Amino acid sequence: MIPSQYYLVLSAAVFCIGLFGILTRRNALIFLMSVELMLNAANINFVAFSIQNGNLTGQVFSLFTIALAAAEVAVGIGIILVLYRNFNDVDVTTATTMRW
Amino acid sequence: MTTRPRLQLGRHLLSGLAAVALFAVMAAAFLPAQFPPVRGFESGSITASIGYALFDLSGPIASEYFLVAFEITGVLLVAALTGAVMLARRENDSNATGVASRDVRTDGGPQPGEDRR
Amino acid sequence: MAGAFQFAPAIAALPFVSFLIALFGGRFMPKRGAFAGITATGGSLLLSAWMYFAVLSSGEPHLEIVHTFIAVTDPFTLELGILIDQLSALMLLIVSLISFLVFVFSLGYMNDEGETGLPRYYAGLSLFSFSMLAFVMASNLFMAFMFFELVGLCSYLLIGFWFRADAPPSAAKKAFLVTRFGDYFFLVGVVGVLGTFGTSAFAGDGSFPVLAEQVLAGETVGINTFGFDPQTWFTILGLLVLGGVMGKSAQFPLHTWLPDAMEGPTPVSALIHAATMVAAGVYLVARMYGFYALSPTALAIIAFVGGFTALFAATMGVVKREIKQVLAYSTISQYGYMMLALGVGGYVAGVFHLTTHAVFKALLFLGAGAVIVAMHHDEDMWKMGGLKDRLPVTYYTFLAGSLALAGIIPFSGFWSKDEVLFEALLRGMDNPIFFAAYAMALLGVFFTGFYTFRMVFLTFHGEPRTTVAEDPHQFGWNMKFPLVVLGVLATVIGFINMTPIAELTGAHIEFLHVWFEHGGEALTVEHYGALLEQWANYGEVHAGSALVVASGAVSLLFALAGAGAAHVLYNVPNPDEHTDKLGSIKTVLFNNYYQDEYQVWLAEGLTANVARGADTFDQGIIDGAVNSISGVSLSLGDRTRRIQTGDVTNYATLLTAGLVVLLVAVGVLGGWFV
Repeated sequence: MIPSQYYLVLSAAVFCIGLFGILTRRNALIFLMSVELMLNAANINFVAFSIQNGNLTGQVFSLFTIALAAAEVAVGIGIILVLYRNFNDVDVTTATTMRW
Repeated sequence: MTTRPRLQLGRHLLSGLAAVALFAVMAAAFLPAQFPPVRGFESGSITASIGYALFDLSGPIASEYFLVAFEITGVLLVAALTGAVMLARRENDSNATGVASRDVRTDGGPQPGEDRR
Repeated sequence: MAGAFQFAPAIAALPFVSFLIALFGGRFMPKRGAFAGITATGGSLLLSAWMYFAVLSSGEPHLEIVHTFIAVTDPFTLELGILIDQLSALMLLIVSLISFLVFVFSLGYMNDEGETGLPRYYAGLSLFSFSMLAFVMASNLFMAFMFFELVGLCSYLLIGFWFRADAPPSAAKKAFLVTRFGDYFFLVGVVGVLGTFGTSAFAGDGSFPVLAEQVLAGETVGINTFGFDPQTWFTILGLLVLGGVMGKSAQFPLHTWLPDAMEGPTPVSALIHAATMVAAGVYLVARMYGFYALSPTALAIIAFVGGFTALFAATMGVVKREIKQVLAYSTISQYGYMMLALGVGGYVAGVFHLTTHAVFKALLFLGAGAVIVAMHHDEDMWKMGGLKDRLPVTYYTFLAGSLALAGIIPFSGFWSKDEVLFEALLRGMDNPIFFAAYAMALLGVFFTGFYTFRMVFLTFHGEPRTTVAEDPHQFGWNMKFPLVVLGVLATVIGFINMTPIAELTGAHIEFLHVWFEHGGEALTVEHYGALLEQWANYGEVHAGSALVVASGAVSLLFALAGAGAAHVLYNVPNPDEHTDKLGSIKTVLFNNYYQDEYQVWLAEGLTANVARGADTFDQGIIDGAVNSISGVSLSLGDRTRRIQTGDVTNYATLLTAGLVVLLVAVGVLGGWFV
């Protein structure tokens, strides 16, 4: 069996890659992809601990997470469309009107 | 004319350091951690058991039941789909959305002809 | 007679209704609201008389809580209540009687003279009657304070009735401010009493005089005296309340407002500034006499201030030219006698003098009002003279009042003033402070006799000195009727308490003493006597009949001497201004010992500068500190909000960095990195 720590490190790596994408990229579509990565990092943890504890719940939850990710993408794409319509761009750094 | 992605280095990568630091911290925390031996599942098909659990049936592997959560997820997906359609819809196509004019903007973005960049 | 007391609130409520009628409907009524006032105060008078007989037959006080503001007993309760005992029943009768007569007199003085603004006048007068009657019935110090302020307000409104002239508004403001100065102390005293005892009730088991006595006797513990010895603290509280008393009852040094208050209409002067409102201060001392009796220091101060004021004001009355000014100083002086009486333990004597004074001073003021009407509103006595034959009703009633004021036997003032002086003499025989007060008061009797008869002779005797005085304006029954009623009362009311006669003959005719020997627990004169003996060392002094008669004879002698001197100097066809011979003394007296000047200096030279300094401190340092703190917050906030760039990437970076810092901190503390 693979020790659980390795799954955790893998999940942390996936999460941080997603985060890195969010922090460095400006394209809203890349943002959505990065968020998917971060969600899947969570899924890795769910499945890893499901095996670790011999409990099926984690596996089922990862399924729900995937369903939620689908919903999130649907809404996210909608938001990106509105963003594009208002700013003629999908660059997130141009939409700075909601500041002080 | 190449579509190959290229590595772009620059100051915009600086904030990515925060993500790298987060990974370092998490790795430093996870690697020394000690877990009890992995239990795993003794017998039976995991996939089949998940299917049973989702519909509140008894499968080869005992589990909690998730029928309600499953149904709610279905509703959520429909809602998300509807919401996405509503957001993506062109406002001047129809007045059915209740938006009177295309000039209305949700967040007071640039006026027509204004270049914000 | 429980039924009678059910109507007690109506005594005060009737004038209040009349206030509303006069205020809102007065201009549509035939006499501009006068009849509403007459009906209301007449009703109050009848009800008061009923209360009086109810108290007389039952002998028990009536105590009732009408309205509770704060019902919690801890830390204190605030409520409106009615206390009708022997003292307040008597006072109710006096106040409603004088109010009623003054309303009738106003018909002649105001309506017949064609004054404008009469609804305002009658509304003010009714509101005053309401407040004063409610003050008299007050069952606790807090309620008393409320109505104490309300009568002050009415006084202000009515002094300034002729607000288009220059002097009345100024006098009104002065009266308001000077009495308010005393009331500050009163307010602090009320708060002190509430904070100390948790109640301000005058009567009953849990009343504050009873509690105070129990504390001194060591029976009750747990009363917060703020670190003072209980008796010292009670003295302080008593003196604080006394501040309000001295303002309202025009005692030195807060007496300066009363002469100026004569700018108001004369019926107002009679009702408010002679007979009733000014009596509120003295009444309050009598009301909480069980509390003052515990403090010999407060009593000595009351007595000394009273004696001093009696003489001090009487000397100023000697030189005044206006008839109402003489009466004003006389009022101050007479209230000095009442304070003296209360201070030396003569509770009955003080209340007795309060009663007789209310009657004869109201009479004198109304008489003066009649003279003023007759003289076409000229108050200068040097322009009168010889009015005796032309205004006989006014003359004889005024004479009765003057004889009473001067203290000539057998008119009412003699009996009461004699008893005051006798009590002071008893106490003065073993205490030099009280003896000094007695001596001053006795000397005051001489001056009283002098200025009273100087006024009578200048006004009514001799030859007319102006053409107006030769043919004075005549007036109707509505002014003569109150004069006659009060004239008869001023003559006979002293018979309710003829102590010297009682001592000589052994007859039990001291009705007022008997009256006050009944009543609720801790409200009787015996109880006060016991308190005085126990806590103020006012031992029982057994004076022989000889002393009683001698005291009466001495005071009568002084009064007659004063009256005689006035007779010699002024009862001639064409009197001279003899007071001019006093030279610079007259100047000092005429300027009221420069009391006004020094008080103005206190206000403008001293207080205004202190206030200015305090204002600078407040604006510069206190407000400056607050403003700079807010300024720092504002500029910091302005800087801080720049973090909100609106750029999603920035937010995400900050979030991540924050999470890293948090994880490191928690991890280091929790030993994750071992």
